[in-house]
Amino acid sequence: MRALLLVLVAAACSLRAATYYVTVAGLGGTPEYEAQFAKWAAELQKELEKAGASGAQNVMLRGNTATRAALEQAFERVAAEAKPEDELAVFLIGHGTFDGTDYKFNLPGPDISAAELARCLDQIPAGRQLVVNMSSASGASVAALSRKGRIVIAATKSGTERNATVFPRYWIDGMRDPAADQDKNGTLTTLELYRYTTRKTAAYFEAEKLLATEHPMLSDKASAAAVRDPSPENGQGLLAARFAILQPAHETAKNLGPEKQRLITQKEDLEGQIDRLKYAKAAMDPEEYKRELTTLLLELARTQAEIDR
Amino acid sequence: MKLALVALLLPVAMLRAESVADKCKAEQRHGRTNAANMCFTGLVRSSDAFTRAEGYFGLGEFESANEEFRTAYKAQPRSAEVKAEWGRLYLEHYQPTDAAKLFTEALESDPSYAPAYVGLARVFAERFDKRAPDLAREALKQNPKFFAAHELLAYLALEDGDRKAAGEEAQQALTISNEALDAMAVLASMDWLDDKPQSEWMDRILKINPVYGEAYETGGHFLEINYRYEDAIALYRKALALNGRLWSARSELGVNLMRLGREEEAREQLERAYAAHYRNPETVNSLRLLDSLRDYQTFKTPATELVLNKKEAALLRPYFEPELQRAISTYERKYKMKLPGPVRLEVYPNHDDFVVRTLGLPGQGGLLGVTFGQVVAMDSPSARPPGQLNWGSTMWHELSHVFVLTATHHSVPRWFTEGLAVHEEGAAAPDWGSRLTPEIVSALAKNDLLPVTRLDRGFVRPEFPGQVLVSYYQAGKICDYIAQKWGDDALLGMIHSYAARKTTADAIQENLHENPESFDKEFSAWLKTETGDAVKSFAEWKQNVKAAHAAFADGKTDDAIRIAKTWRDRYREYVGDGSLYELLAQAYLRKNDKTAAITQLARYRDEGGTSVASLTKLSELQSETGRIKDAELALVKLTYIYPEDEQIHHMLAKLALASGDTSTAIRESQAALVLNPANTAETHFQLAQALKAAKRLNEAKDQVLLSLEAAPDYKPAQQLLLQLSQ
Repeated sequence: MRALLLVLVAAACSLRAATYYVTVAGLGGTPEYEAQFAKWAAELQKELEKAGASGAQNVMLRGNTATRAALEQAFERVAAEAKPEDELAVFLIGHGTFDGTDYKFNLPGPDISAAELARCLDQIPAGRQLVVNMSSASGASVAALSRKGRIVIAATKSGTERNATVFPRYWIDGMRDPAADQDKNGTLTTLELYRYTTRKTAAYFEAEKLLATEHPMLSDKASAAAVRDPSPENGQGLLAARFAILQPAHETAKNLGPEKQRLITQKEDLEGQIDRLKYAKAAMDPEEYKRELTTLLLELARTQAEIDR
Repeated sequence: MKLALVALLLPVAMLRAESVADKCKAEQRHGRTNAANMCFTGLVRSSDAFTRAEGYFGLGEFESANEEFRTAYKAQPRSAEVKAEWGRLYLEHYQPTDAAKLFTEALESDPSYAPAYVGLARVFAERFDKRAPDLAREALKQNPKFFAAHELLAYLALEDGDRKAAGEEAQQALTISNEALDAMAVLASMDWLDDKPQSEWMDRILKINPVYGEAYETGGHFLEINYRYEDAIALYRKALALNGRLWSARSELGVNLMRLGREEEAREQLERAYAAHYRNPETVNSLRLLDSLRDYQTFKTPATELVLNKKEAALLRPYFEPELQRAISTYERKYKMKLPGPVRLEVYPNHDDFVVRTLGLPGQGGLLGVTFGQVVAMDSPSARPPGQLNWGSTMWHELSHVFVLTATHHSVPRWFTEGLAVHEEGAAAPDWGSRLTPEIVSALAKNDLLPVTRLDRGFVRPEFPGQVLVSYYQAGKICDYIAQKWGDDALLGMIHSYAARKTTADAIQENLHENPESFDKEFSAWLKTETGDAVKSFAEWKQNVKAAHAAFADGKTDDAIRIAKTWRDRYREYVGDGSLYELLAQAYLRKNDKTAAITQLARYRDEGGTSVASLTKLSELQSETGRIKDAELALVKLTYIYPEDEQIHHMLAKLALASGDTSTAIRESQAALVLNPANTAETHFQLAQALKAAKRLNEAKDQVLLSLEAAPDYKPAQQLLLQLSQ
C-alpha cells in the first residue's frame, strides 16, 4: 500500500495537480458555538495556507456568510476550475441533525442535506475528493456522500450521536503536531490524520471519564460500509493513505542530476521492499524478518545519506 | 447493619394481644427452629392474608410473603402493623428504599407506632445516617418499654465508639426484658473488642437461644468497622458454626476473606450465600469483583505483592513497585518495626470495583484507597479524571494505615490512623496531604471541629455534609501539631499507647502530658494561627477572586494582577478551580513575563495544585527558559497525577535525556511506548537514544529498528542506525 502511495504522490507532484479546499463553519446556535466553529474553521484554513493553499483554492465560509446559496456557489466555482487530476477537500464544522431519514448540515437559513451536498460534489470534476464532516450526527451523511474516488470521514458513527463534537479540535491539532505524521516522511496523509484524530478523541472521553458521544468513521471504498479502523483487512483506507492533507514542497525528479535521480529511484525501490517485507511479517520467522528488515533499513539509511550529501 | 431482626419481633407482641404469629416468633427467638418452622407453616394455611404473610416471612419465603403482604395491605389500608411488617420484609430483603417508604406510611397511619420508628431508624443506621438515633429515641417517647429501641441505640453508640452510652442503653433494654438478645450481643461485642473472647454475655445469650449466631455476627460487624478483619472473620465463623443458614454472616465472611486477599475461600462462601438466594449488593458485587480478578496480574517481591489490571500493568508497575518499596522502607525506619509479611496493593482502574472493597464501611465518601490489614485497595489513576487522584499520596496514606494497624493490633481510633496517614502524606511530599478547601474553611468559621476524644464520630456518623472531609483535615492537622510541638516520637508513643488498648484521653495524657481538654484548647489556638487569615477574610477573598477574574476577562491585566497579588496569600492553600496562582500566571503571560508566570505556577505546584494543564504549562515555560531540572520536577509531579498521558512521559524522557539522566529517560520512553503513542517512531527513537546513552547498544539498535519499521524515512533514526551499525 505504501509503495503505491509514494508512486502516486510523486506522480501527482510532477503533474502539478491542484487541490481545492472548502472549509465551512456552520450555524452555531449559541454565541459560544458560533465563535468556536468560526475559530476552528479559521485555524484549519490557516494551517492549509501554511502548506501553500491560498486564494480561490482555499475557501472558507463562516458566520452569516455560510449560507446554503454561498456554499453552492463556492462548489460551482470549484467545478468550473477543477480538472479530473485535481483534488477537492471539504471540511464541515458545526452542528448536524438527523431526523431518522435525512441528515442535514446546519447553516444560517436553509440547511443542506447530505444528498444535496453529494449532488454539488458530484458536479466537481476533481477525481479524488475528501469530505470531512465533523458535525454532530455526521455518521448519517456517509451513505449519501460515498462515491468511488471520494473519502468520507464522519465524526460520529451514526445520526444518533447528536452531541456537539470535539473531533475538529483534534483534527486541527493533528495538522500542527509532527507526531501525526506517523511515518515521518514529511507528508501528512488523510489516513494518518484520521488515525491521530480518532485516537485523541477517544483519549479525551477516556481521560474525562465521560461516555464517548462520538465515534469517528471512515469510508473510501464506495461499496463498503464506513469503518472505525481502516485496514488492509477491511479494505478501507487505501485512498485515504494516498490523499495528502499537508505535504512539503517537492523538488521534482526531473530537476535533479542523474546520480540523484538514480538514488531517489533506489530509495523508492527500497521503500517498496520494506513495505512488502512488513506485509509478509506475520508469515515469517521473526529472526529472518529482523535480519532482512535490518539490511533494507541500513541500505535505505545509506541511500538517504547519499541523497542528502 | 448487623442488628438482628429478631429484636423487633418481641416488642410487637407487647403492643397488642398476642397473636398466633407471635407464638411462632417466640419459638424462633428461643432457637427452636423446627418448632418455629412448623408453627409458621401452620400460619400459611390461615384465611387471613397478614397471618399468611407472617408465616411465609418466618419461613424465609420472601416472594410469597411479599404477595400476601400486598393482599393484606389492600385489605387493611390503615394498618400500621401491616405496613411496618412489610417494611421489615423489604429491609431484610436488602431493599432499604422500599422499606423506608413503608415505615413512613406506617407512621402516617399511626404516628405513635414505635416499631415503625425503629424500622426507619434501622434503614438510616445502615447508611450511618445521623437521623437513626433520633428516630430510635422517638420510638421510646411513644413507648418507653420498647426495648428494641434501646438495643438499637446501644448498637449505634458502640458504632460511634461511645462505650458508656452503649453500655447504658443495653442495660436499659435488659431492664425491660431479660431476653434482650441484641443488647447482650452489644455487651458481648464490647468484651470482644477488649480482647476478651469468653464473654459472659454470650453465655447468657446461648442459654436463651442456643443457635443465636446473630450475636457473633454483631460482634463481627464491630470488629470489622474497627479494622480487625481477622477477628471479624473468626466471629463470623462462630456465627455460622451455630447457624449455618445465617446467610448474612456467610456473606460477610466472604467479603472479609476477599478483603484479606483469600480469594478462593471468599468465593466459596459468597457462592454458597448466593446459591441460597442471599443476593444482597455486597454478595453480588463481591462475586463480580472476584470474577474480574482474572483480568489482573500479581507481581511479587519479598516485601510486596502488586496487583495490577493487565491493561495497565506495563505502564504502572515501573512506578508503583519502587514507590511501594520506598514507602515501606521509610515507614519501617520511622515506626521502628517490620511488617510480618508482604503488603498486597490492589489497584483498580474501574472505580466500581474499588467501591465493592469499601461496601459496608462507614465514612467512605470520596475514598481513594482503603486498607484491610496488610491488603491495600486503591483506585488507579485511570479510574479518575486527570488531576483528581495523586496515586503517590494515596499509596503513602494507605501504607501508613498498614503500619499503624499492625503496630496497634488494629486497636486504634479512626481519627488517629487517618490523621497520621494524612500527616505522613505531607511528610513524604510537602505538596501532598490534606488541603484547606473552601468547605473546611467554612467549617472552621463555624467552629465545627470536634473535640479530639469525639473526633471518630465525624468519620462514622457525620452531622453535616462534608464532615468526613473536615474530620480528615482536623485529624491530619492534629498529628501535624503533635509532630511539630512534641516530635515524631510522641506520635510513635501514641501508637504504642493504642497498642496497649489505651483510650485517646490516656494516649494524650501519657505522651503529651496533658488532658484532652487542654489539648483541644491549645490545638484550636494553633490551628487559628495556621488558618486564621483564610477563615477571617474568606467572604472578602471570594469577592476579590471574582473581581480579579472579571478584570482579567475584561482585558484589565494590571488590575487583575494587583487584586490577585493582594488576595492570593490571604488564602494561600487555595489551589482549586480558578486559583489566583493560575490567574496570575495567565496575566503575566499576557504581559510576556514568563519568569513571573513560572514563579506563580511553581507556588501553585508547591501548594499542591493538580491541574494537568497548569503543571504542563509550568514545565513548558521552565523548559523554554532553560530551567531543565525544574521542568523535569514539574513533569515528575505529573506522573503522579496523570500517568496515562503519553505526552508527559515523552517530554520528561526528552528532558531527562538532555540532562544525562538516562535511567529516567529509559523509563519514561518505555512508559510512552506502553501508551501506544501517536508518534511511535519518535518514541522508539527516543528510547534508542536513551539506551545508547546508557551503553545498552543492542537494545538501542532494536529500538531504532522499531522506529524505522514504523517510519523508514525518519532521518534521525536512520543516522542513529548507521552509528550503531558501525
